[in-house]
Amino acid sequence: MRLALLLAFLPLPALAGVAEAVDDQILPATERFAASAGALAGAAAADCTAPALRPAYQDTFDAWMGMSHLTFGPLERDGRALTIEFWPDPRGRVARTVRGLASEADPVVGDAAGFAQVSIAGRGLMALEQLLYDEELSGYGAGDYPCRYATAIARDLAAMAEAVQAEWQDHSRLMLSAGEPGNPRYLAESEASQALYTALLGGLEFDADQRLGRPLGSFDKPRPRLAEARRSDRPLRNISLSLAALRDLAVALSDAPIPATQAAFEAAQATAGALDDPRLAGVADPAGRLKVEILQQQIRAISDAIEAEIGGALGLTAGFNSQDGD
Amino acid sequence: MRRRGFLTALLAGAMAPRLSWADVGSPAVLGAAREAGGGYALFGIGADGTDRFRIPLPARGHAAAAHPTAPEAVAFARSPGSFAVVLNCVTGAVLARLEAPEGRHFYGHGTFIAGGEILCTSENDFATGQGRMGLWSRGLGWRRVGEIPTHGIGPHEIRRMAGDVLVAANGGYRSHPAQPGVKLDLDRMRPNLAYVSADGALLEKVELADDLRPNSIRHIALGRDGLVGFGMQWQGDPAEGVPLLGLHRRGAAPVLDRMPVHEARAMAGYVGSVAFDAAGDQVAISSPRGGRVQVFDDTGRHLQAILREDVCGIAAVAGGGFLLSDGLGGLMRADGQIRPLAKRPGRAWDHHLVPVSA
Repeated sequence: MRLALLLAFLPLPALAGVAEAVDDQILPATERFAASAGALAGAAAADCTAPALRPAYQDTFDAWMGMSHLTFGPLERDGRALTIEFWPDPRGRVARTVRGLASEADPVVGDAAGFAQVSIAGRGLMALEQLLYDEELSGYGAGDYPCRYATAIARDLAAMAEAVQAEWQDHSRLMLSAGEPGNPRYLAESEASQALYTALLGGLEFDADQRLGRPLGSFDKPRPRLAEARRSDRPLRNISLSLAALRDLAVALSDAPIPATQAAFEAAQATAGALDDPRLAGVADPAGRLKVEILQQQIRAISDAIEAEIGGALGLTAGFNSQDGD
Repeated sequence: MRRRGFLTALLAGAMAPRLSWADVGSPAVLGAAREAGGGYALFGIGADGTDRFRIPLPARGHAAAAHPTAPEAVAFARSPGSFAVVLNCVTGAVLARLEAPEGRHFYGHGTFIAGGEILCTSENDFATGQGRMGLWSRGLGWRRVGEIPTHGIGPHEIRRMAGDVLVAANGGYRSHPAQPGVKLDLDRMRPNLAYVSADGALLEKVELADDLRPNSIRHIALGRDGLVGFGMQWQGDPAEGVPLLGLHRRGAAPVLDRMPVHEARAMAGYVGSVAFDAAGDQVAISSPRGGRVQVFDDTGRHLQAILREDVCGIAAVAGGGFLLSDGLGGLMRADGQIRPLAKRPGRAWDHHLVPVSA
């Protein structure tokens, strides 16, 4: 009886956490990314050589890891997420496109509007990584074509980051008015938390299956060279930063304590922290491989904990059709 | 209630009138769904998104086949199902339960030929892996009267074209009911689109280039002047971003979609449904895994991406555009803009919206 009365005054489960997730995780992450990318463009304007640009590139990639899981909303428009980071890249499109532009000294890099029409494999963080870290490409001088190309990428990234940040202000209002008449995107209150929940599980799946799964390959055929942003030493760092962002999102999204989820995040972070293998190159030998596989299993265990603790409480499930093939 | 009782009485009597889809509210499409209580039902849905009828189903359905004139629907269990039910959409009565014969299972789709007298069902002869179409006679109380080959492995959707030519999407890989959900022989897969006469003769077979062998041809829609749209499911790396829609007209070479690479990759290598609009000017494919629908013109030129979580069902609606359904209970009208028509919390629309012709 008393419990029933108490429950009646609790917030509607469907609304739980959306405002907190937007305020505590999403909007700060979009601001940080916009600021970092803006600083990258500023750095390029001052000195576009590879050594000068690398710190700002690393900062921008760090900031991107705070929001790369937000694959709905502003990032899914016009392929922005893939343009910002063209990865995975099983067909080597980034290297091919970057080398193509560089060998032709394509003048498109001098024109911001024109550059925004370049193949997305030739834009964004992965193209910039080629210019800044590839042994053959990165030795360019201040007057060389790759310097202008790197500047164009930096400016393009800054423009996208600024647009995404601005649009997230609008999109967050759309999420907070989920289910109200005239809301074209979120037809019911529950759809906003469902979108966040899907992004949370999707981010963990991406960490386990792509960021770790691609270099792991198979036991007989490990693929260490497929690790994400390997040239710039980011494979393990990206996992740690992504997990940190996803943990913040999980905490914000749930309106109840989530001890099992928190413990699962801590276990994975501890393993990642002890790995001492920034490029995940160890996937090629049995001992190193085992450690990466353990991390992969721990990340999958986070998803299980989230489904039990958050999904169950909010009445959310993974997609009815997306989980069912035919 | 009273009307339903009256109709039941009528049907039971000798003076049963000839019923049409108008007697169940002229639904534009049929769609199966899981309901809030966890049960499953088949719905008739109007072009405005309203429910026109509801019939409980014994289990999760996959697709349905609508009789061309009579308000009767065949609901298929999910693959590898061994049964389908024929429903009277006026009374909800089960008119027949179709059991796949020994050594066969249904793949979840079917279509009518011979003016609605013969139902064709896509089936697996799982000892050999050869695709079959089972033939069932409505006039003989839904008795199985024969079967014809689909001329490929793993057929999924089949459709009737003019002159009772059947077009079958042969997915290209084997499956076996002892291992549900497992795709067998993927490294040897060889999908095709086969045009088959009602007596089983192969009229034309379409295969894609060797590098697209892993692209399983699974769903079909019919456009203008014999144009066939086929939706594919890529069994390779989804990050390769390959074409997922093909367009084919008999006697010509198939044409593949030209999607921007970010949209192709966002589809996650998976097409759940394909449909042309009413005029046949546009064709759309859906990916619940990518949460989006891609719209093309009838030459495969990309027009638009429509974003909607867990979207899968697509059907043409009179007046232009598409009706879309999703696993969150949403029904939308997409005609340039996307407009919500109905939202039924707790209801999860399943893969397909099946047009009702009347």
